[in-house]
Amino acid sequence: MSEFLQVKDISKVFNPEQEFEVAALSGINLAIGRGEFVVISGPSGSGKTTLLNIIGGLDAASGGAVILDGLTLTDLAEKELCLQRRDHIGFVFQAYNLIPVLTARENIEYVMKLQGKSQQDCDARVVEIAEKLGIAQLLNKLPNQLSGGQQQRVAVARAVASKPKLILADEPTANLDSGTAAELMAMMEKLNREERITVIFSSHDPMVIAKARRSIILRDGRVVQNEITP
Amino acid sequence: MFRSTGSGLLVARIAWASLLRRRTRTVLVVLMIAMSLWGLLFMQGLYEGMYEQMIDNAIRSGSGHLTIYAKGYRLEPDIKKLITNIEEVARFLAKDQRVASVVSRINQEALAATANYSRNAKVLGVELGAEQKHGRLADYLRQGELAFGPKARGAVVGSGLAKKLKISLGHKLVLSAQATDNEVSAIALKVRGIIKTNNLAIDDGAVFIDQAKAAEFLGIGAGVTQVCVILHSEEEMVPLQQALRQKFTDLEVFRWDELYPALMQSRVMMEGFSYVTYLLVFAVAALGIFGVILVSILERIREFGIMLAIGTEFALIRKIVLFESFIIGFLGYLSGSLLGGLTLNYFRVHGLDLTAFSEGLDAFGLDAIMYSIIKPDYFVTAFLAVLLATILSVIFPLRVLKKARPIEAITKL
Repeated sequence: MSEFLQVKDISKVFNPEQEFEVAALSGINLAIGRGEFVVISGPSGSGKTTLLNIIGGLDAASGGAVILDGLTLTDLAEKELCLQRRDHIGFVFQAYNLIPVLTARENIEYVMKLQGKSQQDCDARVVEIAEKLGIAQLLNKLPNQLSGGQQQRVAVARAVASKPKLILADEPTANLDSGTAAELMAMMEKLNREERITVIFSSHDPMVIAKARRSIILRDGRVVQNEITP
Repeated sequence: MFRSTGSGLLVARIAWASLLRRRTRTVLVVLMIAMSLWGLLFMQGLYEGMYEQMIDNAIRSGSGHLTIYAKGYRLEPDIKKLITNIEEVARFLAKDQRVASVVSRINQEALAATANYSRNAKVLGVELGAEQKHGRLADYLRQGELAFGPKARGAVVGSGLAKKLKISLGHKLVLSAQATDNEVSAIALKVRGIIKTNNLAIDDGAVFIDQAKAAEFLGIGAGVTQVCVILHSEEEMVPLQQALRQKFTDLEVFRWDELYPALMQSRVMMEGFSYVTYLLVFAVAALGIFGVILVSILERIREFGIMLAIGTEFALIRKIVLFESFIIGFLGYLSGSLLGGLTLNYFRVHGLDLTAFSEGLDAFGLDAIMYSIIKPDYFVTAFLAVLLATILSVIFPLRVLKKARPIEAITKL
């Protein structure tokens, strides 16, 4: 498997050179292949979210490099990084983070619209994804008219709709009940398989962790385990 | 709900939806802008109407747009300084398409006396028929009739002078004035009408008498002291003044604003007042939009953070914020202009009746019923003020937003 994503010696220090300096990540090195389904786990404060944010270009690393498909994200200016996020990375957040004034359909097609796709292409893709995720009947609803599980499905649909190379999901099931969480993971696994999208997610939940084909465990900002699950 | 295509409509869709989501606040700001604009338009239209009325009164009852005197008469009025080539002047003006009407007058300072009182007065020897067409003198008649009666032995008196002399219709009035032979001449007249023009110079001193009678009374063989010209358009005033000056070098030609500098000053003052009012409305609109947009951005910092995180460029977010403020500003402008326009139109037709304050208004030469005017300029300037307020009011909120990094915005709860 080719090294699609390389994380090289990444470190992150919050409040550097101040009284409350916190080293959130130190010396993180990872190599993840295209189409992998990866979980990052570890106790609270171990640096899972910080690592995902740095990989996704949402946060700047204090040192090291993130290389996505040959492009060093950590060298890019904010505007270029923004375009990389738009075109190549899909995000699923713990708190769903849908745009509250847009309907489910508009949320799903939002990134495609930013990319300048035609309404026809958007419509076709929305229908395709909505059917896969079982949310076709929810498309005209606003986020506040949806349950947590439904909102997270829409968030997943938004993340995959523009066919990104990579999906980063930060504890996507943390606010869901176990049944809904299992359903969501099954859907993400299906999308990973069918759409050939690399998925990296963080979780505490053993049931969710068990779904991953590679498990990375962080503790105190360091990788303590990185292995392919049988 | 409409389907958006392209980033332009996406911007419009999000901006409009965001405003609808906070509709009470949106409506309140729109109302705030609308009410300030309404107040501005109302005040401006009414005040401009008021001073335009004063100017119109002065033009109609006094000077016309242009006044012609014999050389030196204006600085040193003397009954011997006459326009003797009046027929030539009349012919020249009659041929000019810009001229609406022309009247000639004989003016002389006089003493007006009754059995008990006397006051300084100004004799105005006029041709009533021409004056009525020229200045619509009949509109100013308050008592009696606009006529000099049999043998032209009647007079029409300004209301202020009549009050001072305590005379009314039918009372006898004796005028004494210096004639062309330097002798004092006198004439007894009967009051047949009382006029009120709100031109203080007329109301407090004028006694209108028949022009032929005035010529006889003052010993004038031929000629008049003043020719007044009303034009179809005020814009033609300067060109015609120049033409008359070139043609009649022995005469002096003045515009109304040269004869009544105080009125001109009041117009300038009103313009200054308008600027101050615009500034106030601008400040109210800017503060209103600024407050709403700032609060709206601070409330939605997380929402914008999400948008930035999933690949929205800051430029698009800036467009959304600007569009929201433009919608607020435009709706405020539209409702304020509509309300202001309708109000001004009402008072343009019906007038604002301030008869309860008529004595105070009289002292300033103002009409008790004020008619507003409406000019397209009002709406253009108001639009520019609201537009500027809108742009300025989003600068700081956008700076706040620009500093927000997606990760900080998303983690902010």
